Amino acid sequence: MVVSCSKEQGIGIIQVSHTLTAATVDTFREQLAGWQAAEPDVKNFVVDLKHVDFMDSAGLGTLIAVLKQITERGGDLKIACLQKKPRMVFEITRAYKVFEIYDTVDEALNFFD
Amino acid sequence: MNAVFYTAEVLPWAEDLGDTPWPLLPVANRPLLDYWLETCAELGIGQVQVILGEGAGQVEEFAGTGSRWGVEILYSFARASEQPLDYLKATSDRWSDGLLFVGGAFFLRRRQAYKPAGFKSLDACTHLSGDRTLFLFGKTGDEVKGLLDGRLESGRGLEQIHIHPYTIDGIPAYFGLNMKLVAGEFARYLTAGFSDANSSSVGYNVLTPPSAHLRPPLIIGNDCSFGSMTTIGPKVVVADHVIVDSHTRLSNCLILQDTYIGQNLEIENKIISGNRLVSATDGTAIEIDDSWLVARNRPEMRTEDLVRYTILWFLALGVGIVQVVPFCILYPLVHLTRIGSYHREIFHDPRTGFVKLPVFQKIENRKSVVYRLFRAATLDRFPWLLLALRGRLFVCGQPPMRHPDDDEIIKQLPQYYPAVFSYADYSRDSDRLVDSLWYAHIRSLFEDVKILVKSLLYRFFRAGRR
Repeated sequence: MVVSCSKEQGIGIIQVSHTLTAATVDTFREQLAGWQAAEPDVKNFVVDLKHVDFMDSAGLGTLIAVLKQITERGGDLKIACLQKKPRMVFEITRAYKVFEIYDTVDEALNFFD
Repeated sequence: MNAVFYTAEVLPWAEDLGDTPWPLLPVANRPLLDYWLETCAELGIGQVQVILGEGAGQVEEFAGTGSRWGVEILYSFARASEQPLDYLKATSDRWSDGLLFVGGAFFLRRRQAYKPAGFKSLDACTHLSGDRTLFLFGKTGDEVKGLLDGRLESGRGLEQIHIHPYTIDGIPAYFGLNMKLVAGEFARYLTAGFSDANSSSVGYNVLTPPSAHLRPPLIIGNDCSFGSMTTIGPKVVVADHVIVDSHTRLSNCLILQDTYIGQNLEIENKIISGNRLVSATDGTAIEIDDSWLVARNRPEMRTEDLVRYTILWFLALGVGIVQVVPFCILYPLVHLTRIGSYHREIFHDPRTGFVKLPVFQKIENRKSVVYRLFRAATLDRFPWLLLALRGRLFVCGQPPMRHPDDDEIIKQLPQYYPAVFSYADYSRDSDRLVDSLWYAHIRSLFEDVKILVKSLLYRFFRAGRR
């Protein structure tokens, strides 16, 4: 399982448990799409990257695609618990300008309020 | 006067920057050792002894006989039982004309008022980092002996002649030194390429389209190419053979040689070495296998390696095809009669760090024809052979090293080729470390085929006897 999803205060929390790379993004997309189909009323999401210690351009591209899809539906996606090594990928690709990044999931949830 | 450079110290932080041994790590695009030798040339030192450790071949290849600097270089290997100062004490008679000793990653950072003639007035001195002596200077044999024996107090040190004794003790210090040099100090040393008054130096064969912005201060090496709309600088050191793709911005960063940087990236406060991305502030390093971001632009695999890989892959395929039917018949029998089975163990992996591999283990120590057949046909290695066909293991090489049992061996191996077959399969007196080092040294197609054939034959004729 690459993704485990839960709902808190009506916001979807997507916990990613693997590296987010070309090898895992398809599973990530499928599992997330499956959960979104089961919970159609959830519009806002927090992606918890606590357990993601590596990410490549495919992983980043997938996160951007998911963000785009969610914002098109009127929702928003925030990133939480970004680790040191993926943070460097966010820095060099300027992805930190695209996403709102928070230190903890709770902090991200509070900002939805 | 003589000089001794001790390059055998192990600096773990330098390993994050690639395969370059630390004495050859570039400082403003010149290897650290080059600066030491430049100082020797300025001081008129005739003979330099370089004590080698890891990366000995590369260091020797770079420095050669020393004729480029007008010095004679002698090489020797460090002895594990001896500290550098013990060596200097034991050979103190050789330093009767004075000694310049550098014992680690140490940079003689010239201040503006520095003049090479200043060394003539430099008092005998040492510079320490903890309990290690990084620098020692004495103009006469008595001064050197006095410093080594502790009879003579160190003078003011290099600051006396306007040199900042800069200890490179980690990635932030290494990065900081490069940034200090690119900010303008590099002009105090010999430089290659074209330099101008606004602190920029550009090497030979550098392609810059009209839309690329070069913002000084910067240092660019030879054979570099920048894409359209790139912004290079300020405070950027780009080594040789670097390609920067379009719309990318580099500032306050160090790009080591043979690096490709993808499109539309923003590199700041980073060191990039091939596909390694290193934070300049805390030394965090990641290796990115993603050529859309950063990559090594020199092929890892040479033609010779490609030929070897292809031939061995087909040989392994042949062995695998021969083994598949016997394995399907014999393994269920071995397993059902509870003679042996596979279990997973953690091994070191050169790419991912660690990997779990299936290891066949005999459960009951009783004689069995089935087991002898199983062993004779090397079927216990069949799963590994499949992994080799998938490119996860080498066919022939070094035995895979267990974690944590073999952690010490891994630390001492410059190259690690975990393989299905190794010397240990047919050599009864095999020592894992010595064999692994030997294999890394003489690795060739002939050696691999020899290991494969000997392992299969030895196992066939000796099956069940050990």
